Amino acid sequence: MKKSIFISILFFFNYLLFAQTYSEQKYLLTSKTNTFGLSTINLTDPYISPLSYSGIGIRYDNENRHFLSPQNTKISMQSKLNIVGGLALNPAITSSMTYLGMNYGWGLHYHFRPITGLQLMAGGLWDIDFGFKYIARNVNNPVNIDLATNLNLSGVAVYDIPLRKRVLQLQLAVQSPILGCMFVPRGGASYYEMFELWNLSDAIHLSSLFNKRGINGIFSLDVPFNRSVWRFGLSYQVLKYTANDMVFKRNELSLLIGTTFDVATFGGRKNHAPGNFISTKE
Amino acid sequence: MKKYTIIFLFAVILLPSCMDDPPVLPNTNKGNFEALWKIIDTKYCYLDYKHINWDSIHTIYEQRVTDSTEVFTFFDLMGSMLGELKDGHVNLYSSFDHSRYWKWYTDYPANFNSSLIYSKKYLGENYRIASGLRYAKINNDSIGYIYYGSFSNGFSDTNMRYVMTYFKECKGLIIDVRDNGGGMLDYSEQLASYFFKEDAITGFIRHKTGTGHSDFSDPIEIKTPAHKTLQWQRPVAILTNRMSFSATNDFVNRMKMAPNATIVGDKTGGGGGLPFSNELSNGWMIRFSASPMFDSNMQSTEWGIEPDVKDSLTKSDEAKGYDTIIERAINILKK
Repeated sequence: MKKSIFISILFFFNYLLFAQTYSEQKYLLTSKTNTFGLSTINLTDPYISPLSYSGIGIRYDNENRHFLSPQNTKISMQSKLNIVGGLALNPAITSSMTYLGMNYGWGLHYHFRPITGLQLMAGGLWDIDFGFKYIARNVNNPVNIDLATNLNLSGVAVYDIPLRKRVLQLQLAVQSPILGCMFVPRGGASYYEMFELWNLSDAIHLSSLFNKRGINGIFSLDVPFNRSVWRFGLSYQVLKYTANDMVFKRNELSLLIGTTFDVATFGGRKNHAPGNFISTKE
Repeated sequence: MKKYTIIFLFAVILLPSCMDDPPVLPNTNKGNFEALWKIIDTKYCYLDYKHINWDSIHTIYEQRVTDSTEVFTFFDLMGSMLGELKDGHVNLYSSFDHSRYWKWYTDYPANFNSSLIYSKKYLGENYRIASGLRYAKINNDSIGYIYYGSFSNGFSDTNMRYVMTYFKECKGLIIDVRDNGGGMLDYSEQLASYFFKEDAITGFIRHKTGTGHSDFSDPIEIKTPAHKTLQWQRPVAILTNRMSFSATNDFVNRMKMAPNATIVGDKTGGGGGLPFSNELSNGWMIRFSASPMFDSNMQSTEWGIEPDVKDSLTKSDEAKGYDTIIERAINILKK
C-alpha cells in the first residue's frame, strides 16, 4: 500500500515537472501574410515613350515577420515579396504598355511599445526591385528593364482596437529608399548595343535621395474571425528617379485583401515539434 | 548633433530638385509639331552628316501649322517635314496612315523581277523552304541558289546545315537579298557568320550621348564571329539592289569583309541608322534613325554599299527569261 502510494506520488510529481517545462518553453511565431489586390498604375519611362501610361493591374504580396529569438522581443526580421502585373495605355489610347514588376525585401526592425495597444517599429530594409515594361509597337526600344537594389528606411505602426468580441489591428507600414544602385540606360543606346555588343557604359548608377525618391506604404486593418484573420488594405507607391537626363516615374494604388496567420515552424535535428503537435510525416 | 541631423534631412528634402519633370507640350497641332521637331532635333543621328539645317525647316513648317488644320492635312504636313531627312528609317505612324520616304529605291531601277526568280530556270515550283530561306540548285545543279526575302524571317543553324548539305556538290553559292527590306540585325550576323573563317571586326556603332547634333559616344566595335561548326568555304555571291535596305545593308557590309564573297548587282539602298521609336501627345508614333552604323573603315553606311561587281537587269535578258544579275554571279562563281 505504502509502496503504491509512493509510486503514485512519484509519477504525479514527474508529470507536474514535465507540464511545467512545456509551459515555460517559448516558441517563435512567424506572422505570414498573403494578400491579393487590384491596382491602378501610372508609369513614365522616357526610354520607351515620353508619355505617361495609365492602367490597371493585379498585385500579390507576401510578408513574413518574426522575432530573432524567443528571448528577444525587441528586434524582428521581415521578408517581403511583391509582384505586380498590369496593362497601361497612353493618353490617346493608341498604344499599350505591358508591365511586370517584382520586389523582394529583407529587413530588421526595432520594436517600441510606448503605450498599451500601440507598437512602433523602426528599421531598415534592403530590397531588389525588378520591372519590365513593353510597348509592342516600338522598334529597337520596345522594352525597358527596371533593375535596382536599395537600402530603405522602414517604419511600422500597429495599433490595437479592442472591440467586444475581437481585437482589430490597424497597421501603417512605410518605407523609402535612401541609397542604392540602379540600371538606367542612355536614351539613345539600344539593348542590341548594350547586351549583344556588351557596351554597358553609363548604364549603372548610384542612387540616393538626390536622384531617387519614393514612398511605399501599406495601410491595413486586420480583422480576426473564428479561425482566420483577414487583412483589408490600401497600398500606395510613389517613386521618381532620374539618370542620363531622363526622369522616370512609377505610381501605384492598390486595394488589398488577404489573410494573416501566425505560424510556428519545426524541423531539423534540434527543433523538434512538441509531442502534442501532430505532423503528416509521422 | 541632433540639430545638425535635422538640418541635413531638411536640406536634402528641400534641395532644388534635379528631378524636374520635362515640360509637356500641349496636345494641339502646334504642340505636336514642336514635339516632333524637337524629337528629331535632339535624337536623330544624321542631321550633321546629311548637312540638314533643321532650324530652317522649323521656320518653314511652323508657318504652315495652325491648330485648326484638319488632321489628314496636318499629318501630311508632318510627313512632308520628315521627308526632308531623306531617310527610309523615318516614318510617322497614325491610326490612318504612315508617312514614308521611298526615293532611296523608287528613283532607281528595280533590278529584280520575282517572276524570273520563280521561273523554271531558277527556283521553279519545287524549290525547298527552310524557315525564311527558299533554295534550289540551278545551272545544271552546279550552283546553289538561296532567295532570302526578309531578315524578319528567322532561320536556325539546323536549317542552314541542311541547306549546305543539299548544296554539297555545288561549286558555289548565291545568296539573293534583292528586295529584302531588312529586319533583325541578329539574323544578319548569323547569316554572315557561316562565311567567315575567323572572327572579324566588320563595323562600328555609336549612340547619342546628348541633345547636340554631334553628341555621340565613342565607336563600339561590331564583330562578325566565325561560326564554330558550320562554314561555307567555297565561293559565294551576294546579289543586291536598291531595295536591299537596313539589316540587309548591314549583312552586305559584313559580307564585304568575308573571304570568297563577291557582291553583285546594284548599290544597296542604305539605312545605316538603327531606328528607335518615340511618340507624340496625340498618340502618333515616330520612327527615326538613332544610332549610326559604320563599316570597318568608319565610313557611314547610311547611303548604301557599292557592289564589287556592278550589273543591272536588262530588258532583253528579261524577255528571254534570264536574270542578268544571277547569270553574272554564276559566271563569277564558275571561274
